[in-house]
Amino acid sequence: MTGFFRRFAVAALSLSALAGLAHAQMDARRAEAELIADRVTVAPGDTFYAALKMTMDDGWHIYWRNAGDAGLPPRLILKDGTNLPEAAIGEFLWPLPHLIPVVEGEIMDYGYDDQVVFAFPVTIPKDAIGQVQIVAEADYLICESICIPETADVSLTLPVGAPVENAKAGAEIGAWIARVPVAFGGEARIADAAEPWTLSLRQEDGFPESAQLRFFPYQHEISHPAAQPQRAGPEGASLSLTPDRAGTIEGTLDGVIRVDVPGAEPVGYEISASRGEVFAGTADREVQSALPGIGRLGGAAEGNALGWQRIATLAFFALIGGIILNLMPCVLPVLSMKAIGMVQAAASGHAGELKSHGLWYTGGVVLSFLALAGVLLLVRQATGSATLGFQLQHAPTVAVLTLVMFAVGLWLMGFFELGGSVQNLGGSLARRGGAAGAFFTGILAAVVGAPCVGPFLGAALGAVIGQPAPAVVAVFLAMGFGMALPFLILSFVPGLHRMLPKPGKWMDTLKQAFAFPMFLTAAWLLSIVASLAGAGAVGWTLVGATTLVFAIWLGRQGGAVRKAVAAVALAAAFIYPAVQANVPEASVSGSSQGAFNGNYGEAAWSPDMVEAMLAEGRPVFVDFTASWCASCQVNKLTTLKTRKVQEAFKNANVAFLVADFTQKDPMIADELKLRARAGVPMYLWYPAGASEPQILPELLTQELVIGLVEG
Amino acid sequence: MILSRRHLSLAAGMAAAVALTAGALIASTAEASPAAPASVGALAPGFTGTNSNGESVSLADFAGKTVVLEWTNDGCPFVKKHYADPPLNMQSLQKSASADDIVWLSVISSRPGSQGHVSPEEANALTTSRGAAPAHVILDESGDIGRLFGAKTTPHMYIVTPEGTLVYDGAIDSVPSARVDDIAKAENYVSAALADVGAGKPVATPSTKPYGCAVKY
Repeated sequence: MTGFFRRFAVAALSLSALAGLAHAQMDARRAEAELIADRVTVAPGDTFYAALKMTMDDGWHIYWRNAGDAGLPPRLILKDGTNLPEAAIGEFLWPLPHLIPVVEGEIMDYGYDDQVVFAFPVTIPKDAIGQVQIVAEADYLICESICIPETADVSLTLPVGAPVENAKAGAEIGAWIARVPVAFGGEARIADAAEPWTLSLRQEDGFPESAQLRFFPYQHEISHPAAQPQRAGPEGASLSLTPDRAGTIEGTLDGVIRVDVPGAEPVGYEISASRGEVFAGTADREVQSALPGIGRLGGAAEGNALGWQRIATLAFFALIGGIILNLMPCVLPVLSMKAIGMVQAAASGHAGELKSHGLWYTGGVVLSFLALAGVLLLVRQATGSATLGFQLQHAPTVAVLTLVMFAVGLWLMGFFELGGSVQNLGGSLARRGGAAGAFFTGILAAVVGAPCVGPFLGAALGAVIGQPAPAVVAVFLAMGFGMALPFLILSFVPGLHRMLPKPGKWMDTLKQAFAFPMFLTAAWLLSIVASLAGAGAVGWTLVGATTLVFAIWLGRQGGAVRKAVAAVALAAAFIYPAVQANVPEASVSGSSQGAFNGNYGEAAWSPDMVEAMLAEGRPVFVDFTASWCASCQVNKLTTLKTRKVQEAFKNANVAFLVADFTQKDPMIADELKLRARAGVPMYLWYPAGASEPQILPELLTQELVIGLVEG
Repeated sequence: MILSRRHLSLAAGMAAAVALTAGALIASTAEASPAAPASVGALAPGFTGTNSNGESVSLADFAGKTVVLEWTNDGCPFVKKHYADPPLNMQSLQKSASADDIVWLSVISSRPGSQGHVSPEEANALTTSRGAAPAHVILDESGDIGRLFGAKTTPHMYIVTPEGTLVYDGAIDSVPSARVDDIAKAENYVSAALADVGAGKPVATPSTKPYGCAVKY
């Protein structure tokens, strides 16, 4: 391999040496350069446009006025023979450039490929006679993967007399002048108090819905390769800019905004942004980056490869997150059901059965996660936003989930048996039932586990939620696989399954014991139904539970008629509470917010509230929480509500704000998305006087919070 | 309820394994957070590389001496400009640095197969043929050292004081071009900064925009 590279390097070296030789002969350049003008003859005192026209070989590019991280802009050096004063020849008009991602995420250049025309105004002196002549050297750096400085002698001679236009060249120059950025009609501001900076662009009617913006600076205040996450609103758009290491803004931030709308020519606006706050209505929603070379996943082949690497990393973390999901209290009871199934299979003496159990379970989990990814993508498509745990903000879903938990509890208690019961040892029916049971357990584990966004999953999901569909699917797949992995390994590695305990009466006892966590889960879900849809819905859910028990009891009596009635009752038990719980959201949101905050005794969060509190000079702590979020409750109990932390908050006059996400709230969803979080918990800490918050870890400790408040 | 001891130890073992994984995850996330990039006025990031003689070279080896880092790529026209004979601009900077007991490190961060990537033998041959005089030529084909410093172009110059503080980051001189003629017209930022460091003064121009070819990471 090294040998190959060495030969390659030597070949490249000798090639560039050859290129150096060829450079001496003027015919082997990588670009053609010529001077053109929109006049055939010129009159004294006339001002017209001449232009340097550059045609590059395939794959080679030259640079914009700011070349970016590397490279140099082209220039025209006047030589002897020019009979015009230097002041008569104006500056280049630079057409709108495109991005040249040299090394994705690290080195970004700005420039042109294929062809470009740099127009410049020329003024003929009033006393000019005979002919005017421009003799110059076009001096440019042209790059592919390597760079070559080239020069080309160019000249232009025009007789002085009655002015005659050159229609063909004039049209060409005109077309390129049309691509030169025009002055921005709206207002531009740069908020540089905190990093990243926000460039806010306000104009009447905003930008088109599908517009993708990119800022090209004239200087080097910002990091050129950094992505520029875009937000938009009815009044305009804003870009998040990463300052350069030594970047400060003196006076204004100047440059060009490139606006790409699918199916249309890109448009450029020249802006000069003064320092100030972000304009309202320019940063209301996130805009997905879609353009090649502009988004986080660059358009270059190299960029895509790196993008996939990043997805692989995310998938890896999602895998580990999935494994950790097993520890979540709302998953553990379901998993224990699975563990019992495994003991059964091991006892039946069939290693193959154990393996198939593991595979079915994995299939169930992975399929559920895949379905979740699909739903997430669909919801994102439909609403432009999706937040994990949203299924627990939909009262009918929660009511049905409550009944499912209750039914599972009943089953664990032994009140009824599912077809092909796990209690049945041996027999082909049981084996088939075991497989189906394992599959169902997998699905159940995933459904129950998904809302428990563990601290580790939060980050991965937040990062992926704005990503293209394949990335979302990959991460969800990895997460599901991770969740199933411990059991899959257990069922596959010979010897490990022998460590499983022998079956016996203890299994029944254990199984029944596990019914209580299920009932508790049902109770917890019921309390969510209460906060979402009020007492009536709770009542109907309990009626549903009673009907459920009735249906099972009736079904056990035998007889076709009874069974039919039981089936109807069973359906009614699930459907009616769901219908009852489906009350209009608006009518309950106020009361539930009040109830929750009443328990918590703090003020409700809103961006305005944060601003108001900061304006008073108070530090602000924001708790993004929900009653269905287990980690949130743990943090509340172990940290936020403790006397030590409460006292520290009080002493430092901290404004403690609660953003309650128990019900879907677009304002909170936006804030979560802005901070790249998929769901709650999220904790923001604004020290006094700060405008941008610190995002705290999802697992809080008293020491951490007190340290922040007192530090 | 009969819970066998095996059952309990199995559960405990699994919990421990998951806890360990979680710990490893936290540790790796902490490590994955980008190290503070080199910034002027702060301590220069420490590194260890391999020179063209196969020896290990660390920044820490030169504590107590001023160190110049030069990112280079012999195929790059901007590098060629400064190594051109005449006026031997880079070579004379290296020789005068060596005379002042300043350590000059030329770093090549070109990835294998890209312009400027050389074998140790080729690197030494280049030093000889160009009459260069760096203390070491560091072969950084992974680009790790380049990324650590945030080197963008060849040439890209850095100066580290005897105390280890980064005091210069930027271009070699004030005229961004590939023309040898321009060297005479330019203000050399590196020799000016070295003079300031030698005189114990703060560097007058500590940070400039580097110019040249992109580093071939």
